[in-house]
Amino acid sequence: MFRKILIANRGEIAVRVLHACREMGIPTVAVFSEADRTALHTRYADEAYCIGPAPAPESYLNIDRIVDAARKSGAPAIHPGYGFLAENPLFAERCEKEGIKLIGPSAYAMRTMASKTLARKTVLSAGVPVVPGTLEPISKDEEVLQIAQEIGFPVMLKATSGGGGKGMRLVKDASELQSSLRMARSEARSAFSDDSVYVEKYIESTRHVEIQILGDQFGNYVHLCERECSIQRRHQKVIEESPSVIITPEIRAAMGKVAIEAARAVQYEGAGTCEFLVDPSRNFYFLEMNTRLQVEHPVTEMVTGIDIVKEQIRLATGEKLTVRQEDVKQSGHAIECRIYAEDPDRDFIPCPGLIASMRTPAGPGVREDSGVYEGFEIPIHYDPIISKLIAWGKDRTEAIARMKRALSSYVIMGVKTTIPFHLRVMSNPQFIEGNFDTNFINGEFFNEKEVRKPASEESALLAAAIHLYEEERKRAANHVSGDAAEPVSMWKHSTRPGVPGNWRVRR
Amino acid sequence: MNYVATIGERKVKVTVEAKSGSDYEVTIDGIRKIVNASRVADHLWSILHGNESVEADVFQLPGEEFEVLIEGDRHKFSLMNEQQRAMLRPDGKGTTGRALILSPMPGKIVKLLVEAGQEVGANHGLIVVEAMKMENEIKSSGAGRIAEIYVKEGDVVESGAKLLLVE
Repeated sequence: MFRKILIANRGEIAVRVLHACREMGIPTVAVFSEADRTALHTRYADEAYCIGPAPAPESYLNIDRIVDAARKSGAPAIHPGYGFLAENPLFAERCEKEGIKLIGPSAYAMRTMASKTLARKTVLSAGVPVVPGTLEPISKDEEVLQIAQEIGFPVMLKATSGGGGKGMRLVKDASELQSSLRMARSEARSAFSDDSVYVEKYIESTRHVEIQILGDQFGNYVHLCERECSIQRRHQKVIEESPSVIITPEIRAAMGKVAIEAARAVQYEGAGTCEFLVDPSRNFYFLEMNTRLQVEHPVTEMVTGIDIVKEQIRLATGEKLTVRQEDVKQSGHAIECRIYAEDPDRDFIPCPGLIASMRTPAGPGVREDSGVYEGFEIPIHYDPIISKLIAWGKDRTEAIARMKRALSSYVIMGVKTTIPFHLRVMSNPQFIEGNFDTNFINGEFFNEKEVRKPASEESALLAAAIHLYEEERKRAANHVSGDAAEPVSMWKHSTRPGVPGNWRVRR
Repeated sequence: MNYVATIGERKVKVTVEAKSGSDYEVTIDGIRKIVNASRVADHLWSILHGNESVEADVFQLPGEEFEVLIEGDRHKFSLMNEQQRAMLRPDGKGTTGRALILSPMPGKIVKLLVEAGQEVGANHGLIVVEAMKMENEIKSSGAGRIAEIYVKEGDVVESGAKLLLVE
């Protein structure tokens, strides 16, 4: 087993990996940017190394700095989490050269799958069905138009090196092509340093279903069944669940087999995910393979009972796969809601800022994977994810009920979050029936504007009025005693109504 | 104490008076009630109205804006002391026909899509702001002429920063 692991990431996923290391008794090393000196992962790890200024290219994407931190700390292995360098073959090669084990697949597997066009060609020759479209990246704008017209609108423009919904645009007709192409290329350039794109036929009313696989260094593979990821905004998943209501045991087995074929085609090692589009007739098409841990891995963990991060670490040490396919069972149902610092009422624009107050839900069947805390300022430099809330139930109905219960007691103040949006989805009849596709958020299911007046409005007014009244009384009292100019920290009121001033918290 | 709440277009009168212990007499739109309100933490109130128990997170935002969270429902309104309100009255902030475009988030100006003096229609792309790795195109809400541009490409702006003026 590794004597130490460096986690080359931040936020909730760094904390998630830290949990696994702690449970396995492996000492941990965090790396942090100057903006993350007080971030949860920096505080939680056994050692922490500053790797540069806030902008990701100067810190979390800086291979030299991270390798340097690994050398200084003596960590023989690096867990990359997701995002940042997790799927960067240059990083994987550098680790190989330095004799550091990167917990993930080989640079070769990453490189093949990272190029979406190369991935399509590779899996196609392994007999895996792919979405119709180009097999080569296209550099000239006129060529994109020509191909789009050949395939027929609507089409999807996708960054060749893309992932995570970035550098991706749906184009309904030729008039939209130019502006979409510009946005896609610009996003792709800043996110992946590669602005080449390719074109795929846009298949209507599809669902997005993915298969989690595990592989060892000896060519053994299992799949851990599917995750349903159709609830998306900006082509990014926001709600995931396992199992999927549309997947029958036969389709599950077929998709699992195909996912393993795709993995085998690149001698894949560790945990990976094959993403598929499933059309209304339940034909499925390979979309891409993610050569890393997925954001939504917890739903699979909850239903299979397998700790995917620990499996990744074990497999990376060269252990044989101990999970057998016949042992993999989905027990109950799990749903994940991604809580982002975004305003769902304004097109999900990011809303970074100070988390002024935070209370997290707990109780039966509820798991919260978080990377923040009360008093933490969410930096503008990184993804706006705050946490992931996961609910497990004996069936989908119970999982939804638990998710609603947990969401409604989840308090985050100071920044806008997607919690109210998730509450709406959990009460949406189509969602409850399991009748939705990837257009759920933009489409007919969800485009009715919310014009309800919550029953609690009067209580809200009442609470705010009493609060203001007390604040004014306090200011007046301060004024009388001559303390008016002294600012009172919102975290450190020494006296509160009903609490005698000389009380102390016992430690 | 007398307050006026503004919820969207609606104005609601609210009065608060402290009674014995942590009891308060509150009237909302003329309806009087006695509640027991206990401040559990700086921003957290536990309210008993009769035996009905409500938990409310109360935050005062800049200005007189309040944000209150109850059971996952987020309420936003302004609440102002009547005396304060009377003082604010004279200065009417009339910007009719003009639209000052503010940055909806902290971020970086990636691209200006218009020039000063340019005529734009409604829903015309004006500027692209990048935050948290996502590019967001801000569009004009109505037709007009670009009267002023306050930023240039590459600038880093705070939330609420002035970007453009459309007349």
